[in-house]
Amino acid sequence: MNPELILGFIILLAGVAASAFPRERDYISRLIHVEIAGTGLMLVMLAYDETIAILTFVAVTAIATIVLIRVIERGEPCD
Amino acid sequence: MMDDYTIGLVVALIAVIITFYAAFREKNDIHRLIIADLAEVSALAIIALIATDLAEALIIPGLVVGISELMALSEIYLVRENLNRPVKEPFRIEVLDTAPAIIAAILVIYGIVLSGFTGGVVAGTGMVFYFMGKKQTERFALVETVSGYAWAFWIVAFFIFMVLPEYWFFAVMLAGGAIFAKVTAKMSLIGTMRGEKDV
Repeated sequence: MNPELILGFIILLAGVAASAFPRERDYISRLIHVEIAGTGLMLVMLAYDETIAILTFVAVTAIATIVLIRVIERGEPCD
Repeated sequence: MMDDYTIGLVVALIAVIITFYAAFREKNDIHRLIIADLAEVSALAIIALIATDLAEALIIPGLVVGISELMALSEIYLVRENLNRPVKEPFRIEVLDTAPAIIAAILVIYGIVLSGFTGGVVAGTGMVFYFMGKKQTERFALVETVSGYAWAFWIVAFFIFMVLPEYWFFAVMLAGGAIFAKVTAKMSLIGTMRGEKDV
């Protein structure tokens, strides 16, 4: 196993656990935890040389953040 | 000793199980939307483990379908909760005041270098940032007209492949440029979602 793969798996699990059970139930912090999991996924893709998949994932993540921010700023404040 | 694929599969399945358990327990709708995004990430990890061109071929449509699903769900939520009025106090995101022109220029130039579908997505992301940063009064009818002609050129390129295969290089260039313009135009529409009253 190369280092990118191991680091990718660790960050993926950490990000998923952090965003599934966040310490502060706040929309923005949960969204940032999801970005951590996304970073882990990108490291896994990097380890397997999936260039086009990484580029598309980066672009799509930017748009997903915009879409979610739009919902969060219009929706009711959390709990 | 287990190989990479088995270990990765176990890790990714643990991630998927945690995600779905969280989605099962969550009651708040916006939190559920965010978990839907997380579910996409952890499910893509399973596909990424295949580690060949097949993985790329499966990931890219997955991402496109995932973003459309997220946009549709968020739109349904906003309509159902009657939240389509303009925002009273929007987030002040400082980077959107200063950076969009530079980021847009870099991303559009890099997208032109890449060309094709991926280039269109990269250049489109640049235009998304630009339109989100500025208060736009652009002529979207013009952008859509360009997009329509680009689609027609794309079809023409496929006819060249079938009827005149000896001009394949010209057809490749035509198809790459046309799909680039089309994807960029479509993506730039997303950038206007925050600004105007009724878009």
